[in-house]
Amino acid sequence: MAKFKRTLIPLSGIVYGEIIYWTTISSAIVVLFGTIKTFIEPHSALPPAYMLNAVLSGESVTNIWMNSPMGAVPNGHWYLSILSSGEGMTTAGLALGVFSIIPGTFISSFFLWRSNNRFFARLALAAAFITITSMVGVIPLPIG
Amino acid sequence: MPRILTKIPELSLLLLLTIIAYAYVEYAAVVGNTPIGSSLSSVDMIVLSFVISMAIAIIAVIAGVGGGVIFTPIMLAFTSIDTLVIRSTGLVVAMFSGLVSTGPFMRKGLADVKIVFFGALPIIIGGLGGAFAAIILARYLGETGDAIVRLLLGVTLVMIALLFIFSGSNNEYPQTDKFDTFGNDLKLRNTYWEESLNTYVRYRAVNVKLGGVLFFVVGFTGGFFGLGGGWAVVPVLNLVMAVPLKVSAASSGVLLAMGNAAAIWPYINAGALIGLVAAPWMLGQVIGGIIGAHILVSIKAGFVRNLLIILLLLTSVKLMVRGLETLLSIDIPIF
Repeated sequence: MAKFKRTLIPLSGIVYGEIIYWTTISSAIVVLFGTIKTFIEPHSALPPAYMLNAVLSGESVTNIWMNSPMGAVPNGHWYLSILSSGEGMTTAGLALGVFSIIPGTFISSFFLWRSNNRFFARLALAAAFITITSMVGVIPLPIG
Repeated sequence: MPRILTKIPELSLLLLLTIIAYAYVEYAAVVGNTPIGSSLSSVDMIVLSFVISMAIAIIAVIAGVGGGVIFTPIMLAFTSIDTLVIRSTGLVVAMFSGLVSTGPFMRKGLADVKIVFFGALPIIIGGLGGAFAAIILARYLGETGDAIVRLLLGVTLVMIALLFIFSGSNNEYPQTDKFDTFGNDLKLRNTYWEESLNTYVRYRAVNVKLGGVLFFVVGFTGGFFGLGGGWAVVPVLNLVMAVPLKVSAASSGVLLAMGNAAAIWPYINAGALIGLVAAPWMLGQVIGGIIGAHILVSIKAGFVRNLLIILLLLTSVKLMVRGLETLLSIDIPIF
């Protein structure tokens, strides 16, 4: 019975699920260490009490960053340049979790293609490419 | 709960690490214990956010709606936090429970990978279109246009909820005689093991083209309002495409995680995602998402339906209240 149950589930789905699942759990651990570092580092680049007070008092994103010790609004993959700091590590962990979709989709599309589900493989590739363009900043959404 | 912990060692590890980390930070924080507001320290705020997030994630995964539907309206209604920060953190809440539940759902065959990829593209494109349209509409109609759309959306949600109520339990495992040529060509059919019935359930998707169009509409409205599309993916899959309710809920969560992944990068790149604020919400979503995914596998579909009806009604009331408040310039003191 167990064997039959397993044969009903497509490999493309299992591969997609496993890649995203384990990358997300890894990213949660990175975020956890980032949070600890944020609170215990004595001379934080972005003091947690300041950041939380500024956010809760309704400061705009621009003001939050401009009045922080960083003194400028970050741009692009800014967290990679301060990866050793708590805030950098935390944001990098969040980004890693979001990124997990891309390899998951590419590898899943390979298995979909191999199982003659080419229409869905193409759809998966198209979705992955749009996500990549968003990640590298080609599609600058009007988020303001 | 203890059974889930012994069955899933990674969940136990993550929960244990989180408890140890927060206890350590609370005890040893050098700079973190500056009071926030009246009596809470910044560490207390982080722990409180984590606990609330975990509860939201369990409910959101079982109902197949992104947690953003619960998080974003509450934060917009009750806090003065900048909308950009709320929307970016809302996307984290909307997507991470879906991300982490992808593993268990795919492993159990509860989420359908073909349905996920079929819906992903229209939702992503619709989401991008909705975000641009929100800016354009705000330029020409201002807040009035936004309020009208919000009101209409609220009414639509009430109608969907009523449809769920009056269709009874027929939608838990929909049976249809309709033959969909496009769905048949795409082989959009599957079988999954229904633990609560101890049997296999077969299904095949119908109205596939209409479903694709509706996914675009869902993505568009989700991008337009910054709510995510969780409130509508399950009704589209279940009521329109005749996919069983539990498969709809599971596929919806996976689909939303994928759709939100494209939407969140511009926020990260612009510094609108504040790591310290988003971190406890993300951790709560990951841990709550794993718990919710394992609960969904074994509970009865009727429970999912009832939870979805409650969430749809609550969201619709919130949307209509906000629409009326803007249109009539009054303050309606409802949650």
